[in-house]
Amino acid sequence: MFKIESKNVDFFYGSSQALKNINIAIKPNTVTALIGPSGCGKSTYLRLFNRMNDLIDNTKITGQILIDGEDIYAKGVNVDSLRKKVGMVFQKPNPFPKTIFENVAYGLRVNGISDKKFIEERVETSIKQVALWEEVKDKLKKSAFELSGGQQQRLCIARALAIQPSVILMDEPTSALDPISTSKVEELIYELKSKYTIVIVTHNMQQAGRVSDTTAFFYMGELIEYDNTKNIFTHPKIERTQNYITGRFG
Amino acid sequence: MKTFYKKFLEKFIEGLLMLSGTVTTLTVVLIVFFLFKEGIGVFNKKPVEEGYVIAVNNKNPINKLSSEQIKNIYDQKITNWKILGAPTDSIILFRLEDVSNYYSDAEIGENFEGLPICISLLTDSLPNIIAFFPEKYIDKNFKGKQLEIDKVKLSEFLTGKEWFPTAQPAAQLGVMPLILGTLWVSLGAILLALPLGLAASVYMSEIANEKIRRIMKPLIELLAGIPSVVYGFFGLVIIVPLIQTTFDLPVGETGLAGSIILGIMALPTIITISEDAMRNTPRAMKEASLALGASKWQTIYKVVIPYSISGITAGAILGIGRAIGETMAVLMVTGNAAVIPHSILEPVRTIPATIAAELGEAPNGGLHFQALFALGCILFLITLFINLTVEFISNRNKYNKH
Amino acid sequence: MMMLDENKLAKRKKLRQSIAFGILSTLSYSIIAILFIILSFIIYKGIGVINWNFISQMPEEGMTKGGIYPAIIGTLYLVGGSILFAFPIGVLAAIYMNEYVKDGIFKKIIKQMTNNLAGIPSIVFGLFGMSLFVNKLGFGDSILAGSLTLGLLALPVVIRTTEEALKAVDNTFRQASIGLGASKWETTSKIVLPIAFPNIITGLILSIGRVSGETAPILFTVAAYFLPKLPTSIFDQAMALPYHLYVISTSGTNIEESRPIAYGTALVLIIIVLIANLLANGLRKYFGNKVKMN
Repeated sequence: MFKIESKNVDFFYGSSQALKNINIAIKPNTVTALIGPSGCGKSTYLRLFNRMNDLIDNTKITGQILIDGEDIYAKGVNVDSLRKKVGMVFQKPNPFPKTIFENVAYGLRVNGISDKKFIEERVETSIKQVALWEEVKDKLKKSAFELSGGQQQRLCIARALAIQPSVILMDEPTSALDPISTSKVEELIYELKSKYTIVIVTHNMQQAGRVSDTTAFFYMGELIEYDNTKNIFTHPKIERTQNYITGRFG
Repeated sequence: MKTFYKKFLEKFIEGLLMLSGTVTTLTVVLIVFFLFKEGIGVFNKKPVEEGYVIAVNNKNPINKLSSEQIKNIYDQKITNWKILGAPTDSIILFRLEDVSNYYSDAEIGENFEGLPICISLLTDSLPNIIAFFPEKYIDKNFKGKQLEIDKVKLSEFLTGKEWFPTAQPAAQLGVMPLILGTLWVSLGAILLALPLGLAASVYMSEIANEKIRRIMKPLIELLAGIPSVVYGFFGLVIIVPLIQTTFDLPVGETGLAGSIILGIMALPTIITISEDAMRNTPRAMKEASLALGASKWQTIYKVVIPYSISGITAGAILGIGRAIGETMAVLMVTGNAAVIPHSILEPVRTIPATIAAELGEAPNGGLHFQALFALGCILFLITLFINLTVEFISNRNKYNKH
Repeated sequence: MMMLDENKLAKRKKLRQSIAFGILSTLSYSIIAILFIILSFIIYKGIGVINWNFISQMPEEGMTKGGIYPAIIGTLYLVGGSILFAFPIGVLAAIYMNEYVKDGIFKKIIKQMTNNLAGIPSIVFGLFGMSLFVNKLGFGDSILAGSLTLGLLALPVVIRTTEEALKAVDNTFRQASIGLGASKWETTSKIVLPIAFPNIITGLILSIGRVSGETAPILFTVAAYFLPKLPTSIFDQAMALPYHLYVISTSGTNIEESRPIAYGTALVLIIIVLIANLLANGLRKYFGNKVKMN
C-alpha cells in the first residue's frame, strides 16, 4: 500500500503546461527527494499534494493524486481537512507575527480545539520533537521573530507537526539557513521519518543524498527518473540525470 | 567651451530643481507663519469692540468684568450686582441708544456735542448703572469708572462654552462647542465608514478575483474624486430631508447628516490604505496558515488582519483626519448651530465650517477675523498631529517587520 | 484524539466562511451602490437642465434662470492658473527628490513637509491664501490669488504622482545612460522623463479633476457670488462652478427656483471628474499595455 500515488498528472498554468504525465508512488515512512534545475516543476508538483496551487487563479490539473487511497482532487474533498493531514514547511522560515507558543498552537486553534491543557501539552511535545524546547521553553510568550533563522524554521516544522499530519511536504526547507542550522534540520528529517511520510524539494544534491530514500529527478515539467536514492546517485539509468547530479548542468 | 557650458547648465538645473524641491517646505513654513501671526493676534485683543468702553458708577466696587459676565449682564441673565460681588442692587443697563430715555434732544445736541456730559452725569447719578458706549464720548472730566477688560485668554478661548463672536457688547470666543462639534461629527463618520471600508478592503485584497478588483478600484477612486460641494449638495437634497422625516425632526440639518456624508467621503482613504497594507501581507504567511488547515476566512482574520493592523489603523486615522478637515460638505448639511451637541440629531457646527461661514463677514484684522485664524491654527495643529501619528505608526511598523 | 468530528468541523468552518464572505461582499457592493446612487441621482436630475444654452449663457433673474457660462469660464481660468503654477514646480520638485537629492536629513525634511502640506485641510489653504496673496501681496480677490492658493493645494498631489511615475522607471535605464557617458540631467531629461511621461500626465489629469471641484480655498481668494461679466484680467474676481453650486443651493434668495440650475451645475462638476478619471484610467491602461508589449 502506497501513501501517495500520482497517476498521469498534468498541470497547467493558463495554457502552458507545467507538468507532464507524472507517475509516482511513495511508500509510507520514507523520505522522497524531488530534484531538478530551477523551473523544472518540482515545487509546483510538491504543492499539488496539499492543493496549494488552488490559490493561483487559472490553473488546471488532470490525472489523479491519491493519498491513503483517496483522490484528493475528487469532488467534495474538504481542502482544509486535507491540509491538516498534509503538513507543509516552506522555503523561508515564515512564522506568524505571534508568540512562539501561539505559532505552534495556531493549527490546533483553527481546527476547532480550545482545550487549554490539551493545547499546552501538544505545543510542548511538538517543540520537543524538533529539539527546540530547551532553547525556547523560557520565552514561549516572546515573539517568534526573536528567534534565529534556524530556530524559526524548526519552529515552523513544530507548527506543522502540532496538528499531527501523516505527510510532511518540505519546499527547500534549508535554502535560507546556515550550514549548522541546515544539519540540524536534516537530522530532524531523519528522525521524523519513523512517524511521517516526507516529500522534500531540494536544490542541494548532497542533501538529497543524505536524507532521502527515493529520489525523483524532474526536467522541464517531466519526471525523468524515479528510483532509490542510492541508485540515482550511483547508477542513474538516464544520462541527463547523471549530468545533473554530477553538476554538468543545472 | 562646450564642456563649460554643459557643466554650467547641469549646475543651473540642479539649482532650479533644488529650489522647486523646497517650495513645499517653504509653503508649510509660510502657512504656519501667516496662520499663527493672525491667530495669536486674537490674544492681544480685548473681547469688547475696538473703540468702545464699558463704565460703571464711581462708587461701584467692581473694577473688572470678564466677557462672559458682560454678556450675561446685557442678556439680562445677571440682573443684580450682588452676583458679581458688589452690594445688592439691580443692574441698570445702558446702551448709547438709551440716552434719549434720560435726556432731551436739546441736551444731547444736534451733533451729539452734549453726549459726553450726559453720559458722565448719568453714570454719576445712577449708582447701579453699567454703560456701554463709544470711547469718543468720554467726557474730559468723566465722573464714572471705566471697567478694565481683560484680553482674550488662551484658556478661556479653548474652554469657553459659547461661540458668538459678533455679540455686543462683548464677543464670546469659546471654541469648545466647535471642537466638540468637529470631533462629534468626525467620530460618527468614522463609526459609519470603518466597518464598510474594512469590509471593502478585505474583500478587494483577499476575496474578490482580479477581474472584480480591477473594476472596483477605479470606482473607489471615483468616489474620492467627487468634489465635496457635490457631496454636500447631495446631502442637502437627499439625506437631510430623509433624516428629517425619518426621525420627525424640526430640521434635518444635523450632526448625523454630517457624519453620513463625511463617512462616505472618508471611505476611499480608509479602503486604499488598508487594502494596500493587507496586500503587503507576505504570501508565505498566508500559505503557512492555509497549509495548517485554516480556512480562507480564518487566515484573513487570524493572519492577514493582525499583520496589517498598523496599516489599517493608519487608514482609519487618516480617514478621521480627512473628516475633521472637510469644510463644504459639512457646512451644507450640519445646520451650523454653535452649541455643544447633546445628540446626533441636533445641528452642530465644526471648525472648518465656522471659518468658511464667518470669514466673509469678519472685518479684516479685527477680533472676529483673528479668532477665525486662531481656529485655523487649531485645525492645522490637529491635522499635523494626525499626520505625525500616522507617520509614527507606519515607521514603527517598518522597523518591526524586518 | 481530541479533535472534533472531522465533518462537523469542516462544515462549521465552511458555514462561518460563507457568512463572513457574504457580509463582506454585501458591504463592499453597498459602497459601489452608494456611488451609483449619488451619480445616477445627479445625472437623472441634471441631464434635463444641461443644454447648449445652459453652458453658454449668463445667469439671469437672481440666478434662477439662464446658464452658468461665467462659472465655467472662471473654473477654467482657475484650473489653468493653478496647474500652470503647480505642474512645473511639482514635477521639478519630484525630479529633485527622486533623481538628485541623496538620502539624509534634508530629504527627510522635504518629504515630511510635503506630506504635511498634503494633510492640511483645504479651508486652511483658504485662510493662508487670503492673508498672503489677497492681503499681504495686495492681489485682492482675484484669479491670481485663487490660482496660487489652488496651486499650492495641488502641489503635493503633483509631486506624489510624479515621484511614483519616476520610481516606476527601471534603474537599469539610468545606469545604461550614465554608463554611456550621459550627464545626470541628460539621463533624466532624455531617458527617465520620457518613460515616466504617461504616468506623470495621468497624475496631472487627476489633479485637474481635484482642483476643479475645490471650494474652500477659493471662498475668500477669488470667488464671486455673481458677476454680470466675464473676468478680463488675472486681477479680476471670477465665478467658479463649485462655489456657484454652494451659493445657489444654500444661500440664494430663491433656493427652490434655482434648484434645477443647482442640479445642472452639480452634473457639470461630476462630468468633469468623470472625464478626468476615465482619461486617467484610459491612459494608464493604454501605456501600461504598450510598455508590456515592448
